[in-house]
Amino acid sequence: MEAIKNIYKYRELLKTNVKKEIRGKYKNSILGVLWSFLNPLLQIIVYAFVFQVILKNPKEHYVVFLCAGLIPWNFFATSLSRGAFTFIENGNIIKKVYFPREIMPISVVTSEAINFVISTIIILGFAIGEGLGISGYIIFYPLILIIQYIFTLSVTFMVSSITVYVRDLQHLIGVALQLLFYATPIVFASDVIPDGMKWIVEINPMAYIINGYRDIFYNQVMPDFILLGAMFLISIALCVISYIIFHKLQKGFAEEL
Amino acid sequence: MQDSKQDKIIVEHVYKSFNVYMDKANTIKEKLLFFKRNKKQKREVLKDINLTIKEGEAVALIGVNGSGKSTLLKLMTKIIYPNKGKITTKGKLTSLLELGAGFHPDFSGRENIYFNASIFGLTKKEIDERIDQIIEFSELGQYIDNPVRTYSSGMYMRLAFSVAINVNAEILLIDEILSVGDQHFQEKCFKKMNELKKEGKTMVFVTHSMESVKQLCTRAIWLYDGQIRMDGATDKVVEEYIRVTT
Repeated sequence: MEAIKNIYKYRELLKTNVKKEIRGKYKNSILGVLWSFLNPLLQIIVYAFVFQVILKNPKEHYVVFLCAGLIPWNFFATSLSRGAFTFIENGNIIKKVYFPREIMPISVVTSEAINFVISTIIILGFAIGEGLGISGYIIFYPLILIIQYIFTLSVTFMVSSITVYVRDLQHLIGVALQLLFYATPIVFASDVIPDGMKWIVEINPMAYIINGYRDIFYNQVMPDFILLGAMFLISIALCVISYIIFHKLQKGFAEEL
Repeated sequence: MQDSKQDKIIVEHVYKSFNVYMDKANTIKEKLLFFKRNKKQKREVLKDINLTIKEGEAVALIGVNGSGKSTLLKLMTKIIYPNKGKITTKGKLTSLLELGAGFHPDFSGRENIYFNASIFGLTKKEIDERIDQIIEFSELGQYIDNPVRTYSSGMYMRLAFSVAINVNAEILLIDEILSVGDQHFQEKCFKKMNELKKEGKTMVFVTHSMESVKQLCTRAIWLYDGQIRMDGATDKVVEEYIRVTT
């Protein structure tokens, strides 16, 4: 509770920081913020080319299927890989001024969430372009977004604060994310996984989130509320735990950085 | 001291030690391979510090290099935390440990005012109310909309100082920066700080300039080797300090 009050007090800092994150990311590039839109688009074209044209994936409307998985995944992956650096990058300020340190990971995840919401236009664009259309289930989009936000934030809290002490983590995180990418049904559907390996997807929280998005955008059915509800509760619990860990670790930040 | 005044900073039995690594292993690989090399030494910087600073006091922390002044100031701002003991501060606190910490070189002076003031916990509305005052105090005039990287170090300092001094904090912590800037601006800062003192703001300075100590502070605390050697009226402490160190 105290933490939330503190963040509210520093909301202006959070706001300017989020702005800085969004603007700063593509600074000095000609297309600027447009890249946050172009990047996922080009990425989708690459994956679609590899999996549909070369590997001949038989799935109908494969591009939409891919978008609905890849774009939310990007939100998670970029938050994490950028979040891991956030305290190290901002070491200079952290050593010299007091402000609630949680502002840093929160602004990374929030700016990525904003990016994600903008990129959702790509999913909608392909859904319409492919003739699949948009279903009314889209009203559940904010719900899944909130679950993903809380989940991503908790993981980012943990990764960012541990990285300050164990710098190896920042190198490990790229590989770990790649592994997790293939352990999540993004480029393929869960049902093509051999039975013996299904457990990997079953214990992967990101799989449930991606499947949720896929239900509303691609399958256009009611998302599984029991699973999502469970994910919501797990995310909240994880967020509390990771915040406690973060809070313990942040006391030493100024000395470690 | 006046007992009716509220205690603003309370330091109780504070100990602080730093681990000094001879050759720090940052990664697991280095930790495993060179576990012998990773020797650390514990250095006690502060030992059992107790003090109370009341509302409206202007206190100077003096002492030779390495006596723990800056560490004590950092502990008060909550940038670092004590190993033992407790530090309580009451009210909004602003610190100036290094000029322009947190300035973004590519952003304009005006944008940096917003950014810097928000680090001190101000909302947009509060900054809007103060922005003219801050710009005026900084005397940057037309340069305020230029990127900060084009500023001279004097301009940089004036901007940083103007923000810190105008955010209406109840406690102001300043580390060794009064020496920068030209005569004119320095005098202006002194005047402003004397005003703040009259308004009942609490200030703590770390400085080696005995001149400014005498000019601004009512109380001086002399730290020696991590302990308080003397605490009292400025004139007496400064006199004794000069007598011993020279």
